[in-house]
Amino acid sequence: MQKTLKKYFVVFTVPTLIAFCLAFVVPFVMGLYLSFCKFTTVTNAEFVGLKNYFRAFEEPDFLNATWFTVRFAVIAIISINVLSFVMALLLTRKIKGTNLFRTVFFMPNLIGGIILGYIWQSMINAILVNYGTTLVANAKFGYIGLIVLMNWQMIGYMMIIYIAGLQNVPTDLIEAAHIDGATARQTLFRVKIPMVMPSISICLFLTLSNCFKLFDQNLALTAGAPSKKTAMMALDIYNTFYGRSGFEGVGQAKAVMFFIVVATIALTQLRFTRSKEVEQ
Amino acid sequence: MKKKVISALLSIAMVATLLAGCGSKEAATEEAATEEAAPAEEAAPAEEAAPAEESAEAGEGQVYYLNFKPEVDEVWQSLAAKYTEETGVPVKVVTAASGTYEQTLKSEIANANAPTLFQINGPVGYQNWKDYCLDLKDTDLYSWLLDPSLVITGEDGGVYGIPYVVEGYGIIYNNAIMEKYAAMDGALVKSADEITNFDTLKSVVEDMQAKAADLGIEGVFASTSLTPGEDWRWQTHLANLPVYYEYKDKGISDTDALEFTYSDNYKNIFDLYINNSCTEPGLLGSKSVDDSMAEFALGKAAMVQNGNWGWGQISGVEGNTVAEGDVKFMPIYTGAAGEENQGLCTGTENFFCINSQASEADQKASIAFVEWIFSSDAGKDAVTNELGFIAPFNTFEDDEKPTDPLAQEVLRYMADSSKTSVAWNFTSFPSQQFKDDFGAALLEYAAGSIAWDDVKAVVVERWAAEKAATAEAE
Amino acid sequence: MKTRKAVNHVVFVLLCILIVLFLTPIFFIILNSFKGKLFISDNPFALPTAETFAGLSNYINGVEKTNFFAAFGWSLFITVFSVIAIILLTSMTAYYITRVKSKFTSLIYYMFAFSMIVPFQMVMFTMSKLANTLHLNNPWGMVILYVGFGSGLSVFMFSGFVKSIPIEIEEAAMIDGCTPLQTYFGVVMPILKPTAITVAILNAMWIWNDYLLPYLVIGVSTNYKTIPVVVQYLVGSYGAKDMGAMMALLVLAIIPIVIFYLACQKYIIEGVVAGAVKG
Repeated sequence: MQKTLKKYFVVFTVPTLIAFCLAFVVPFVMGLYLSFCKFTTVTNAEFVGLKNYFRAFEEPDFLNATWFTVRFAVIAIISINVLSFVMALLLTRKIKGTNLFRTVFFMPNLIGGIILGYIWQSMINAILVNYGTTLVANAKFGYIGLIVLMNWQMIGYMMIIYIAGLQNVPTDLIEAAHIDGATARQTLFRVKIPMVMPSISICLFLTLSNCFKLFDQNLALTAGAPSKKTAMMALDIYNTFYGRSGFEGVGQAKAVMFFIVVATIALTQLRFTRSKEVEQ
Repeated sequence: MKKKVISALLSIAMVATLLAGCGSKEAATEEAATEEAAPAEEAAPAEEAAPAEESAEAGEGQVYYLNFKPEVDEVWQSLAAKYTEETGVPVKVVTAASGTYEQTLKSEIANANAPTLFQINGPVGYQNWKDYCLDLKDTDLYSWLLDPSLVITGEDGGVYGIPYVVEGYGIIYNNAIMEKYAAMDGALVKSADEITNFDTLKSVVEDMQAKAADLGIEGVFASTSLTPGEDWRWQTHLANLPVYYEYKDKGISDTDALEFTYSDNYKNIFDLYINNSCTEPGLLGSKSVDDSMAEFALGKAAMVQNGNWGWGQISGVEGNTVAEGDVKFMPIYTGAAGEENQGLCTGTENFFCINSQASEADQKASIAFVEWIFSSDAGKDAVTNELGFIAPFNTFEDDEKPTDPLAQEVLRYMADSSKTSVAWNFTSFPSQQFKDDFGAALLEYAAGSIAWDDVKAVVVERWAAEKAATAEAE
Repeated sequence: MKTRKAVNHVVFVLLCILIVLFLTPIFFIILNSFKGKLFISDNPFALPTAETFAGLSNYINGVEKTNFFAAFGWSLFITVFSVIAIILLTSMTAYYITRVKSKFTSLIYYMFAFSMIVPFQMVMFTMSKLANTLHLNNPWGMVILYVGFGSGLSVFMFSGFVKSIPIEIEEAAMIDGCTPLQTYFGVVMPILKPTAITVAILNAMWIWNDYLLPYLVIGVSTNYKTIPVVVQYLVGSYGAKDMGAMMALLVLAIIPIVIFYLACQKYIIEGVVAGAVKG
């Protein structure tokens, strides 16, 4: 069968491969190369070695953005996962209206980042106006705002995954624990949580990569204001590329470093998940 | 159920195709045109088809203007429509979002359908865009200039940017409110004309603020709009004054290291603006230029810093309470020595450039479009009366100069030999990035998050860094 | 058991409070979209009064300024055709590289998997340049780009599923004289349907909401602007934020998503869970 199928290579794979090369392979290789070049358009590149990488750190922007991203990601990941797990526990108690709750909680996840950003921008400004200040007046507001926004968007999503995980916990296991006299707390920590470990690592991974790659929400909510103090890595790279002249190479170098960070996180997570799965 | 979903998807797809059919009419007619051309070529003798094609190509020149000023977007749109109607040449006008002109230009110019007509803000802008600027020495537009020395010239002596407007800015005030104040008991001045330095301005403003309720205003100054992208009145225009005086003291026209020696003067006027306003300092981060012009137009504030281009925004506000005859300019006083003779800040930062990488037909079409604007009656009328431009070309007769009150005021100050106009030195500011950083620092200062010394440090530091960075980028 | 019931009552009330909190932002924009633009910042949480009520003027204003319905049409066009193309093309590719085992196919597989961990910013600049050089700055070009970008996750998910299909069915079909194409469309494709729905939903959500790719490739000068692009364009443009039009536009942008969601809720939720677990 392989042999007959093999002849159909063109029909089965070439259209996808062409699109894939156009959208990804070629730009990726070019991007990698250009990070070592000085250029304004792709055609006038001039090799400059590692200079762009050094220039990326000459100004504090990139490091600040990285630090902000980390601070944001840590809090957002913890809060999203804890809250969504708690909500999943509540929604697996067979309460009436469970479906309605699930539907509403999940909905924000479908709304695009730009739209979400502006909804929350006007909401937060409407609250802050009572205190005589605005969202862009202080980086603290932008920071908290982003965390609240991300929670609003992602809690429903993570909750759904946790619910699916919790529903897969065999009921006889829980009943057995009950019969053995386990308290609710013991059942939770000794039975439920270990059993939903796969869901937990999936959710951690999803929140982690979403938080690190966040762009639209960041752009719409504060666009980095004030003084780029709330700009995350993706936004900083975008600003370096398109906000300034003569910094295209630096932007590309930052993008390569950003890629390395994101890829490292993803691969670590993958390895971690795999090893956990084997244990079970 | 699944079948239902799929059929639903299919019908969505069909609707989409229909919609697409509507949206892409242009493309469709183009296609139709080529289709028609093709059989014609086969049937008709070759000679006939060839010239037809040629003329089609020559007439194919298109204009795509990337407009810089959002507030005059509508005027440009209607000018474009009028020109297309008259000549059949398609003109597209796109307006970049406030504060993102460079950014938009950068992503747009890389496109297949790049702007053919764009603008730069002076020598610094020229450095960024010189690869895209066409030499305009042989155009009529250049020959019409009243003062050819204003143009942007390249190292080779070519003319790469042509200024198309002279503008002035200062503090716009509502004379009706000033007269009301002057008539009150204990008024510090009898008329706004008596204000000729910062000390007088400050005492008058503070006195007016104390009597705001009696004057029927919410604050003396309209909001100091500090929303990112809406802060150019402060990080560029107001910042021009300290830079102007520093350059003047040093006898220079540009510098790699600004000392910001007139920092305190800037602080003087900025503090006055934010502390005697109809908006609390902490809320300024949510205000736009439009907001503050509306506040002035509605009589909520007596003064607002802006240029003569702001007239359209004042007169266009619904429920406008300001009479045309009451809108006046006064210079921006900061407490610098000898400012009694200071005039308005007049100059230009708007230079037209033609995209040198566009097709020749498009270049010609773009030049023709610009020349039409500044020479035809319809074009001149719009320039003078709708855009309110004081155009620096000899194609404008005296009775074709703008009649709006602010332009009149600018012309009055320019004609007054006892006043020295302040030159627009902000064209030498290192980059948009510098301005944005400065604006952001001002926002934080207004919100009370940082001290004035921090703002000063930002200005000095960012100026040097950005000058170095742009030098390195070249 | 009694305590459990009591606890459930408390939980129910708690969830009701949460749901109100969750919906507040939505109510907030709907409420303000009916107020005059100058009144919104005055008292944002108040209901519209006779003085502040603006009727539909914000909606008319917002739609006119942005040509919203055209944007809706283009968003729909790009999303629908991209998703159809992704499903068709990537499932075929996934099938091929799973069934034909060679160094080359496994290289392709790893490249697709690799593309999943590369953030968009890495290729943003070069890709948009390339797209413009090749004149892909139109809706059909966008479809091609989305196939390219979406192929990583989609191929990955499809091939995971193809692996679990017993090869015997296909072999039987082939012995009956079916060509690989007939086998694929007649036998494999129907089995792939659940995965196809998952892939379709994940991609549709992404493409419909995507901002940066259409903004960079299509730009703001054409008539092909999508909904996220016009929202960003309206809000950041015209020298002023017209708060009223902005609120109206946000409401309009949400409506299609809500309708779509309520109509195919079950598939969306299942698809998202399946996508998360496999991805």
